[in-house]
Amino acid sequence: MILRSLFLGIAACLLALTCAAQALDDPAEEARAQSLMRELRCVACENEPISQSSAAIAEDMRARVRVMISDGASDAEVRDWFESRYGEFVLFRPKGKGLEGMFLWGAPFGLLIIGGLIAFGVARRRQAGAAAAEPVAPEDV
Amino acid sequence: MIELGHLAAFLALAASLVQGILGLMGARAMAGRAALVAFGVMAVSFLTLVVAFAQSDFSLALVANNSHTLKPMLYKIAGAWGNHEGSMALWCLVTLGFGAAGALWMRTGRELFEARTLGVQGWLATGALSYLLFASSPYLRLDPAPLQGAGLNPILQDPALAFHPPMLYLGYVGYSFVFALAAAGLMEARIDRVWAKEARRWSLAAFIPLTLGIALGSYWAYYELGWGGWWFWDPVENASLMPWLIGAALLHSVAVTEKRGSFAAWTALLAVLAFLFSVMGAFLVRSGVLTSVHAFAVDPKRGMVLLTGLVVYGTIALGLFALRAPKLEGGKPWQMLSREGALAVNNVVLVVAALTVLLGTLFPLMAEAAGRTISVGEPYFRLTFVPMLAALLAILPVVQIWSWGKADLSMLWKWAAGGVALVVVFMALGVGLWDIPLGAAFGLALGVWLVFGALWELKRRAVSLPRVFRLPLRVWGMTLAHIGLGVFVIGAVVETTQRYESTLALPAGGSGTVAGWNITLKDVRAIEGPNWYADKADITARRGSATAEMAPTKRYYPAARMPTTETAIHKTGTGDLYVALGERRDVNGETRWVFRVYFNPLIDLVYLGVLLMGLGAFFSLLPRGRRKAG
Repeated sequence: MILRSLFLGIAACLLALTCAAQALDDPAEEARAQSLMRELRCVACENEPISQSSAAIAEDMRARVRVMISDGASDAEVRDWFESRYGEFVLFRPKGKGLEGMFLWGAPFGLLIIGGLIAFGVARRRQAGAAAAEPVAPEDV
Repeated sequence: MIELGHLAAFLALAASLVQGILGLMGARAMAGRAALVAFGVMAVSFLTLVVAFAQSDFSLALVANNSHTLKPMLYKIAGAWGNHEGSMALWCLVTLGFGAAGALWMRTGRELFEARTLGVQGWLATGALSYLLFASSPYLRLDPAPLQGAGLNPILQDPALAFHPPMLYLGYVGYSFVFALAAAGLMEARIDRVWAKEARRWSLAAFIPLTLGIALGSYWAYYELGWGGWWFWDPVENASLMPWLIGAALLHSVAVTEKRGSFAAWTALLAVLAFLFSVMGAFLVRSGVLTSVHAFAVDPKRGMVLLTGLVVYGTIALGLFALRAPKLEGGKPWQMLSREGALAVNNVVLVVAALTVLLGTLFPLMAEAAGRTISVGEPYFRLTFVPMLAALLAILPVVQIWSWGKADLSMLWKWAAGGVALVVVFMALGVGLWDIPLGAAFGLALGVWLVFGALWELKRRAVSLPRVFRLPLRVWGMTLAHIGLGVFVIGAVVETTQRYESTLALPAGGSGTVAGWNITLKDVRAIEGPNWYADKADITARRGSATAEMAPTKRYYPAARMPTTETAIHKTGTGDLYVALGERRDVNGETRWVFRVYFNPLIDLVYLGVLLMGLGAFFSLLPRGRRKAG
């Protein structure tokens, strides 16, 4: 599948590059292309996605996204293609694979659970005296 | 002249040292006087810098490197803090300013505590001033003096950015005083209601300018970078967002300590962390360890000094916290489902959100150390940070009516039903009628829910409508801030999901259509300003009967050899039509100009929401007016 779209992509490349600076005709495909452009990093810029950069390479990369999308590639295939070509660096959405990836994506939710458990534990410890807690309406905040 | 300033800065250092020593020894009045003296002489010192910039005194290395005779006066003056050394001088001035303000306006009736607070603040100021004088001195002369300066970084030549750093610094450095209050409170192991009452005011005093500073920076990035967006999850932006999130958690936690005496240790910890995160922000921005579009004045050696300071102050403060936290007294009892419980959840989520931003910002660095180059950008934060905060905001209207100690849950099912109904309505309307994505429908429902919830709470407190205006200002502050959150969410959701962007390549006289707007390029002319020249495009945008003349410009600053984008923005009432001029292209002998055209719906609500949050914090800070209980 990847190979096929790759091949088609290259075959259509010369023809398409001339017009790919323009939006795709199908609005749904264009929307997908634009959201992909926002998460691919321009390789020649400081810290910009290709959707924002005015560098020539970013324009080529945008054209490539549109060509692949119009050839029926899925979002994952587009991301994989760019990763194999330019390395992990171009993905603003880092991969969740491997130990580091799991840490990066898991840590926020892990911390949330740990924080919740700690808060719960503190509240539980106070539960003994809390039965006597009287509701007091806040006077201002 | 500048030698006088240099001398004054040394005097300020001496006065801060005196303040630090006498303060910790418990001499409230003397430490206070030292704080006032230190601020006074530093103000003189800073003024000499500003004057040197205003007069373009190129015998001063800093002015020669960062200014230019052709610059407009506003930017000559703003240039004084638009560079590393000058901004550190501003940092010192603000630190001493907060010390002086504290000396004048602390009202706890606890002499030893106030003296120690001033003492700690004195040591923080000593650190900052030593760094200024010995690691990044702005007072150095050049011999021979050049005839002309190198110019300010052109993208900083902008009104929003002239005031963005002072605002941000007021916020960052404001937390230094909160830090000092926490350290002094921990020394005597007394973080109680009196302490919290004082700390709350200073937390607000830091939170307001930090909020406005972030908004200014974001607005600047919106119209100056020419990318059409307002938040890029850029490391420099993240560096200011982290202390803001901690600061927001602190405001909620300190209210619990003030009203109930609970959360004492936690509040003290947040008070320490807010400042540590601020300094870390400065370190990340200034050291150049992270690549950023905003970063200027980058120097790794100075980064090391900042990092050392951060570690030293952080270790002392956290060590003190670890020693004293077990000795702090608890407050009144509370059940899990109570105002306290709800605010505990608020704090957990806000702090984890700040840590998530930290992780996302530092992860590329850690990966690089391990030999991999990884980017973490907007999609990461959209999938971690955003749902976390969305969940927190979703429960806000429900729990803010809860009482201290124990919640009355009899209304809970009504709230739940109301919330579900709102989501269903928005999904039906949004996904069905307006054809927006599911997530956007949820987001809109959330924004409306927040505004409604804040107003509902105001009405509930007031009981009847005429009494609304007799409610305490703090209630108004809370309401405004929470309405601001809702307005912000509506703006952010609509803007990010419904934004339309496109590129047009037009010859003179040519036209194209973007988001229903017909854009015609009349002409591109070369114009000249005081220290730049530019290509200025004249564009007519039409949609139906609406017409707008727009002039997106690309400036070039020869002194700095740098181009900048001056976008043209037409406000339609429902959004911004936003045009940025790109490069010129010659195709087959025909000249075409590339335009990046965006339609940003409801973007003003993003800024309005943030301003409302700042205004709400301001209302909360106002002294409690003697209002008759109605």
